[in-house]
Amino acid sequence: MAHAIWTGAINFGLVTIPVRLQTAIRTNDLRFNFLHKADEGRINNVRRCSVDGQDVSYDEIVRGYEYEKGQYVILDDEDFKRVNPEATQSVDIVQFVELGEIDPMYFDKPYYLEPEKRGRHAYALLREALRTSGKVGIAKVVIRSREHIAALKPNGDALVLELMHYADEIVDAAHLELPASEKPAENEMKVAQMLIDTMTEAFDPTQFRDTYREELLAMIEARAAGKEVPSPEVAAPRRDNVVNLMDVLQKSLEQSRQSRGPDGAATSYDAKSGAARERPDEKPKKQSRRKKSAA
Amino acid sequence: MSRAAAQTVDVDGRTLTLSNRDKVLWPQDGYTKADLVAYYRTVAPYMLPHLAARPLTLQRYPDGIGGQSFFEKNAPRFLPAWVPTVTVTSEFGRHETVRFASAAPRTVRFILCNDEATLVYVANLAAIVLHVWTSRDGSLDVPDFLFFDLDPHDGCTLATLGKVALALRDALTEIGLRALVKSSGGSGLHVIVPLAPEYDYDFCKGFAELVARALHARLPDRTTLQRMPARRPLGTVYLDYVQVGRGKTMVAPYSVRARDGAPVSMPLEWSEVEAMARKRAAGTEGEFGRFSVKNVPPLLRKRGDLWSEAGQDGQRLEPALALARTAFAAASNAAER
Repeated sequence: MAHAIWTGAINFGLVTIPVRLQTAIRTNDLRFNFLHKADEGRINNVRRCSVDGQDVSYDEIVRGYEYEKGQYVILDDEDFKRVNPEATQSVDIVQFVELGEIDPMYFDKPYYLEPEKRGRHAYALLREALRTSGKVGIAKVVIRSREHIAALKPNGDALVLELMHYADEIVDAAHLELPASEKPAENEMKVAQMLIDTMTEAFDPTQFRDTYREELLAMIEARAAGKEVPSPEVAAPRRDNVVNLMDVLQKSLEQSRQSRGPDGAATSYDAKSGAARERPDEKPKKQSRRKKSAA
Repeated sequence: MSRAAAQTVDVDGRTLTLSNRDKVLWPQDGYTKADLVAYYRTVAPYMLPHLAARPLTLQRYPDGIGGQSFFEKNAPRFLPAWVPTVTVTSEFGRHETVRFASAAPRTVRFILCNDEATLVYVANLAAIVLHVWTSRDGSLDVPDFLFFDLDPHDGCTLATLGKVALALRDALTEIGLRALVKSSGGSGLHVIVPLAPEYDYDFCKGFAELVARALHARLPDRTTLQRMPARRPLGTVYLDYVQVGRGKTMVAPYSVRARDGAPVSMPLEWSEVEAMARKRAAGTEGEFGRFSVKNVPPLLRKRGDLWSEAGQDGQRLEPALALARTAFAAASNAAER
């Protein structure tokens, strides 16, 4: 069981539903330590003052905001506490909106809300009401001393609280060069539409895997086991002798000839196109010694 | 001083501003950026056919060969509009050896060095070393040459390197393929086999591996296929056949290298390699250091571009593969570990 981030309540109107806030996203990133290449010693971070050259401990460190080059406003822990929102541990619903109204760009990170025993009935009621109305709640919530806006959505049997970006966090696309006024021709649209239709299938997120992570892990496991790292050359079927290799090549030639058609000429490549044609001929070329042999 | 060092030049009707001309790029030799630009202008007629239409990677040394350098694939944002480019989607991001399928596709806009003005432009960026793809715009998925990088490991003599290169040439001749050779500009040799641009990278890589394995079977003591430098036997030549692939590059013929003496990657006569195989030099670098920005231009005027046929004679691999069945049969039976 994942541990609760906090225990609190969903509030709307006069209704209070006691809930626990639970994580919904697992981070799978591999963690690496920095080591000294020569002796594999762990690298320590040293905080050193640029003025007196001394190492500085954490309790001697304050935060400065550079409001002008070289000019800092200093804030200490008390200052940060003063502007911290009250750690309310509640999901305060301020309005309900149609889910479709929210630009998906605004969604950031989902959390589960799990009801406490005495909140189960109200929890189910809110979930079903949201589902039937097709609406989501917009709520304020404090997580780790920061206040967020969030959308409260029904998701299966659960209520999901999805943290959202503030409007001023979304970068405006106006500075991009976008073809706003361009109207594609009707037949182009038809072709594009057809392409989309033929590639349309049910979305199955399990089809997609983080192969980067998997390959890194495989590499790490192999190294840990003292094996050679699987690079494509090593992983490829071993060609123990040149005869095997010749067979492989012969087969690949035949296959590519089949896909090219009977004359054996590559149709997909135009060897003499482009700038290759414009090579300067500063002297007459000798006739090729060998004529191209017919395939 | 540095103000006076800026200068505008007219190249084929394009006006270019050369900045910081007096910047010394080779401190030991005193060669400046102006020398680099002058060199590339002189060799342009010979070099451009080998650069044309190939995505170009610049190796830039803004602070000279002793300073920080960086590889630049993406054309600079301030690139003049007249410089031709090709935009390529790279599926594998920066990772070349481990392919992360999830790495997001990104596009890279490569410069195509098709004319002298572009060559001057990139030289002015202190791009000392020019690396090119083995394929050309219009057929980027099919290389027009096979590329073998013969890299002498510690203790390898000039004679050994020469003998291995000749054995590679002979193996290729046996299967009907003609090869061209150049110095890498460092310590090794580059051997290419001009191809009809019809075979994809996978096939070419497999074919290069076939040749390399057959050669290793013939010369097991003088060659190695070991990719980890630390595991290569002393005195061997590493047969690097894996530099064949989409996005992989070769140092262009006549490219300068960022080493003392400003050596140049120089196309060679096979007879020069035969002479190498008879020499007694312990190392290989002295041999190739004699081709430099100073003496390559007069040499080129005398002997012309030895690689002028590259790209003209597109050789086919079907007959070569058929011939390999008998030519390399002995190799297949030899002890392969």
